[in-house]
Amino acid sequence: MTATVMDRGDVRTTDGTLALANLTAQVDMLAGQALPAGSPDSAAHRVLEQQAALVDLLTLRGHLLGCVADYELAFQVADRMVATAPHSAIALSARARTRATLHRFADAWSDLDAAHRAEPSVDGLDADRSAILQAVGCYEEAELLLQNAASHQSDFASLSAQAVLYAERGSIAEAVQAFAAAHDAHRGVSPFPLAQLDFRRGVMWMREGDLTAAHEAFDAARRRVPAYAPATGHLAEIELLRGDAAAAAGYLRPVAETSDDPEYAAHLALALRGLGQHDRARVWRDRAKRRYDELVRLHPEAYADHAGDFWLGAGGDPGRALRLAQWTLVMRQTPRARAVVERARAAVGASSPDVR
Amino acid sequence: MADHFSGPRILIDPASDVADVYTFPSPDRPGRLVLALDVFPAAAPAARFSDALVYRFRVRPVARDGQGFSVGDQEYTLDVTFDAPGASAGSEPSAQTGTCTLPGGEQLRFPVDEPTETGGVRIFAGPRLDPFFIDLKGVLATDAIEQLAFQPEGASNALQGANVLAIVIEIDPAAVFGPDAGPLLGVVGETVIAGGRPTRLERMGRPEIKNVILASKKFDQVNRDLEIRDLYNEEDAFAVRPDYEGAYRARFDANLAFFDRLAGDIVWPPGEHGTHPLTDLLFADFLVVDTSKPFSESSSFEIERAALVGREHTTCGGRAPNDDIVDTLYTLLVNGVDGERISDGVDQATRPATHTFPYLVAPNPTPPDAMTVLRSLLPPAAEEPAP
Repeated sequence: MTATVMDRGDVRTTDGTLALANLTAQVDMLAGQALPAGSPDSAAHRVLEQQAALVDLLTLRGHLLGCVADYELAFQVADRMVATAPHSAIALSARARTRATLHRFADAWSDLDAAHRAEPSVDGLDADRSAILQAVGCYEEAELLLQNAASHQSDFASLSAQAVLYAERGSIAEAVQAFAAAHDAHRGVSPFPLAQLDFRRGVMWMREGDLTAAHEAFDAARRRVPAYAPATGHLAEIELLRGDAAAAAGYLRPVAETSDDPEYAAHLALALRGLGQHDRARVWRDRAKRRYDELVRLHPEAYADHAGDFWLGAGGDPGRALRLAQWTLVMRQTPRARAVVERARAAVGASSPDVR
Repeated sequence: MADHFSGPRILIDPASDVADVYTFPSPDRPGRLVLALDVFPAAAPAARFSDALVYRFRVRPVARDGQGFSVGDQEYTLDVTFDAPGASAGSEPSAQTGTCTLPGGEQLRFPVDEPTETGGVRIFAGPRLDPFFIDLKGVLATDAIEQLAFQPEGASNALQGANVLAIVIEIDPAAVFGPDAGPLLGVVGETVIAGGRPTRLERMGRPEIKNVILASKKFDQVNRDLEIRDLYNEEDAFAVRPDYEGAYRARFDANLAFFDRLAGDIVWPPGEHGTHPLTDLLFADFLVVDTSKPFSESSSFEIERAALVGREHTTCGGRAPNDDIVDTLYTLLVNGVDGERISDGVDQATRPATHTFPYLVAPNPTPPDAMTVLRSLLPPAAEEPAP
């Protein structure tokens, strides 16, 4: 299916730079502190709710700015919440979300089970479970849980989750409709929900190979939030695929400087190599290599597949890429994981033994 | 807190979160009216107004009508909008500029964080010390144990040292609204999406309607599972849609009855079908100010209380920043119109508001983070047993 490019700039949202400054101001004002052990009265409940909000704000900022340190801090805050309130559904589900962000899906699932045991009526668990099932490629089960979750969510949250699910499983026509419906259901002036929606739409078109539609969607995300690192990174990828290394490098330089996610440094190395700037490319490649080694050691579930991509591309070690890709495929039977394995196999000239 | 964090939706968008609305005759220039709107509770020094919102005051003439008020059709709006500060991606936004649009359409430009007088209107917008004060610990404990739980001896202000973003406008009501407006006016503060679909995100009239009176779900047998505050925020204070009116009224009736039970004796006997005598009055959720009366520091709810018992009001009503609204409200809900005063033990803000424009005092350069504020609400941790 081919996209029709939609101009969806009709919804007014807060200036993205200003909104990011306010997001950081919010994070500052919710600076993580341990909850003192105490009875779970209504005040403690409020503290936990605020800490859960901090966890989600840190995760949001981590995503927008490509900041792994924010994901790690979100996990630390949530882990402390559970340490001091081990039977709180709020604390357990917050930690589940941070574990899912770092792709520790089994641990996240067990937190959600514990949250349900602690408070069977708590809202949001089905949506969190659905996201995990989707991430590991269990789309039918994920859809059932999404339907259960819909009555507890805003229309926007429910429709965007549906759109992403359809996109992930390749139901493009349904996804396009759901993305449009989610966009129309948005309430409020925060630019982040709509920017994230456009970003996910871009990821879908990228996977479908429609670079024009993908570019439009990532560009829309970036218009809402100029510092949106993953959208910028994907725009650079599109430029690389189109053979415009200079444009790609232009996108990537500021992000590679500020982000602690090595993906941008790796792509910048490729772009610079394409421009014939081999010495500079080597500097960025080495920086990416060091950081990938560190992240695979710290968060293997989240970064093994990205590291595999790196070793296939700028890293130049297809054998290492294949090992990482196969390991990822054991954890997640998703189309993306299979694709990385296939590309790695092709790169090492393997004779395609079954991967189990 | 007065209207801080009043609903789940607002937590992700603090620039649209109305914390407080005030209106009072100017103590600085008699004959003029002050309108103030605080947003962005617990604002960090870097907090800014959204450029995608209209920060709006809506003013209508009202008249005493039995135990409540009738609202006139004429409406005067004062809209305040802000530019996005110029900044490149990743850098700190610079200072903002605001625009105040008067009811007649005249637009006044002003710099943020500088008191300005233009066209006979005084305007200030920027960070200020939060003027509200409350023993939130006592409020939460009262709801939890279903008994009055204020302990004046150890009470502390939950908002001590916290900042907000404030908008303060001072006008000559005769010049801005016309000679026939007033003297009784109904005032509401709102945040509304600018352009496109002008959706109302938050609105506030009287303090603590959402966070004290409507928040608790446990007494409401009709809508026990409904987080009603986000819906309530979207309503027009002067014309609530019939769609959810029954739900709001059921919550008012149930929760107001809970407050009445706190002192043991019933001062507000329910009417037919369990209707609480205060529901109609409070459901008309706007501040009522009398512009013909002089400034008063402690006159909130005086006009409403007078209406309830059919006597003439004697003050400007409205709401001034230093007014101890928590004590006044609990006294009205628990002990009735002229009942014995209830105190939460917190009688003033971090630093009281002044009597000179812009009234709200300069912000705290090192405000406490919200978690510190919330931790202060917790009971002391139990002693660890010795190993």
